Amino acid sequence: MTLPLLTSEQFVTYFLNGLSRGMIIFLVASGLSLIFGLVGLINFAHGSMLALGGYGTYVLVGLVGSFWAGLAVSVLAVAALGLLLERTVLRDLYDEPLLGFLGTFGIGLVIQEAVAVYFGSQSLTVASPFPGSVSLGGVDYPAYRLLVIVVGAAVALAVGALLSRTRLGLEVHATANRQGTAEILGVDTSRVFTITFVLGTALAALAGALTAPITSISPTVGLGYMTTAFLVVIVGGMGSFKGSLVASLLAGQIIAFGWLVLSPTYVNIAIFVAAMVFILYKPRGFFGKPEVFE
Amino acid sequence: MNVEIPSFDIGRRARRVLLVAAIVVALIVPIVSPSNVSIATEALIVALFALSVDLALGYTGLLTLAPAAFFGLGAYTLAKLVVDFEQSFWLGFPAAVVIAALAAFVVGYVPIKRRIGNVYFALFTLAFGTVAYDFTYVTTEITGGSNGLGFFVPPALFGVNLATPMNYYYFALVVVGVLSIGTYLLLRTDYGDILHATRQNEQRMRYLGYDTDRERMIAWTFSAALSALSGALYVGMVGIASPSYLSFDRTGEVIIWVIVGGTGTLTGPFSAAILLTFVQDALSNVWLEGYHLLLGVLFVLFVFLLPDGIVGALLGDDD
Repeated sequence: MTLPLLTSEQFVTYFLNGLSRGMIIFLVASGLSLIFGLVGLINFAHGSMLALGGYGTYVLVGLVGSFWAGLAVSVLAVAALGLLLERTVLRDLYDEPLLGFLGTFGIGLVIQEAVAVYFGSQSLTVASPFPGSVSLGGVDYPAYRLLVIVVGAAVALAVGALLSRTRLGLEVHATANRQGTAEILGVDTSRVFTITFVLGTALAALAGALTAPITSISPTVGLGYMTTAFLVVIVGGMGSFKGSLVASLLAGQIIAFGWLVLSPTYVNIAIFVAAMVFILYKPRGFFGKPEVFE
Repeated sequence: MNVEIPSFDIGRRARRVLLVAAIVVALIVPIVSPSNVSIATEALIVALFALSVDLALGYTGLLTLAPAAFFGLGAYTLAKLVVDFEQSFWLGFPAAVVIAALAAFVVGYVPIKRRIGNVYFALFTLAFGTVAYDFTYVTTEITGGSNGLGFFVPPALFGVNLATPMNYYYFALVVVGVLSIGTYLLLRTDYGDILHATRQNEQRMRYLGYDTDRERMIAWTFSAALSALSGALYVGMVGIASPSYLSFDRTGEVIIWVIVGGTGTLTGPFSAAILLTFVQDALSNVWLEGYHLLLGVLFVLFVFLLPDGIVGALLGDDD
């Protein structure tokens, strides 16, 4: 197999493509990882939350006219739905992994099919709020994709700081490590669970809203992202925020550059096979902590 | 959130009456209502599929997200032999069993031996299912890619032409009937109890001296072989194997049948698959997109209100 020769302009383009894709994967994966790592819930409704974020933005852009207002309201609305679900049904399922998985799978299915019934199953596109391009390293690169990279990085920093610098972050870690001890020491663990779930859901919705102008959205748009994100979470390490970031960016680059030598489906297969090997031989991934969620 | 369901045993006699009634209905369906023969055939075949998944998911507690992969493997094995290698249709069934059992053994050996836990097992099989689906799409020279592998018709058996829907129905009825009753009887023996006990308390079974890994492995392989057989039967009816056989939608659908019918009951998933296939057929004339929405709502209701499923709730804990 001969590697195609890349000019530096092509290299920059592929690298930025990989980075923007990696950032979207990261938003999905970090939300999953938080819920997964803290609560131990395989949240199969995550992909549908992503789709809802995208469709919400689509509707609101049509109503309000502003992409950013649409995005903000859409993310908040999906977060509110997450709050409602967590408070009413999901919290009863934390101790039962099988029912938790099945319950979220069912909720995800209902949302996905409701979207399909209402909007139809064909894909929709949202107009990019920044149609122009920016010259960067001798390359004209779409401005909107650069913005996605910036937003992704900002969210990574903000959530990272939240987890490592604030009282809430401390409580999240304490709850994940020793729920019983944390409760004795006065941590309201049920509140911590709720906040974590809502935050994770909001991140998925944000990913859906941001990806809508790049790739089109369909009712099942979240499924592919979610599957990749699950595997990213494992490779990065269950419950490790840093791990999710590193593994997402890695996956983004592998996908972007992999397409040069292999067809996209083969790249996909390679990533999944790698993830299967990780599950078997290194289930805690690169940064997984042994105490978080067994 | 848990609703107490009064458990009552519907009794041996009642069950026998139900079984006889089901057999009579199954036998006369094509005569009474010839327009429903195709959908009845499909219902029977997917019922076997649901039963095979219940064996792994419900009976043994292996949270698999890859049943569609084995269903598709069986279908493609038969289609490949008939279409590309011009072998006998009948060779397809044993070949599907052998290949699916081998594949299941290879895929399942390490995760089951290493006891990777429910969550990891689910994600491992999810990845495997995705790989199998992608592989079917992309290896055009082997699988025909998105065009699928076809088109063929089943041959005659003892002078009976199976290419007609009605004859294929009776053929499927015999095969599904023998296999599912056989599985049911097998699991009523002591061996079935070992599997059941392993799901409920694996540690205790190990203390008692059972090699639970081996029992799981056997159940997993057996389940995959049955899934492949149902896939082979299905492709014989349709005449073409296509990547949609392996899609995650199919996995989701069969898991819903299993849950709604009642995990670990065998009869529950079997009847739920039949019933819901007919519901889908009836709804598709009225509200095509509505079926999956209805299925989803039904599923959520069952998971949260009646996690034992219909048959599980009817039988209570004493069976």
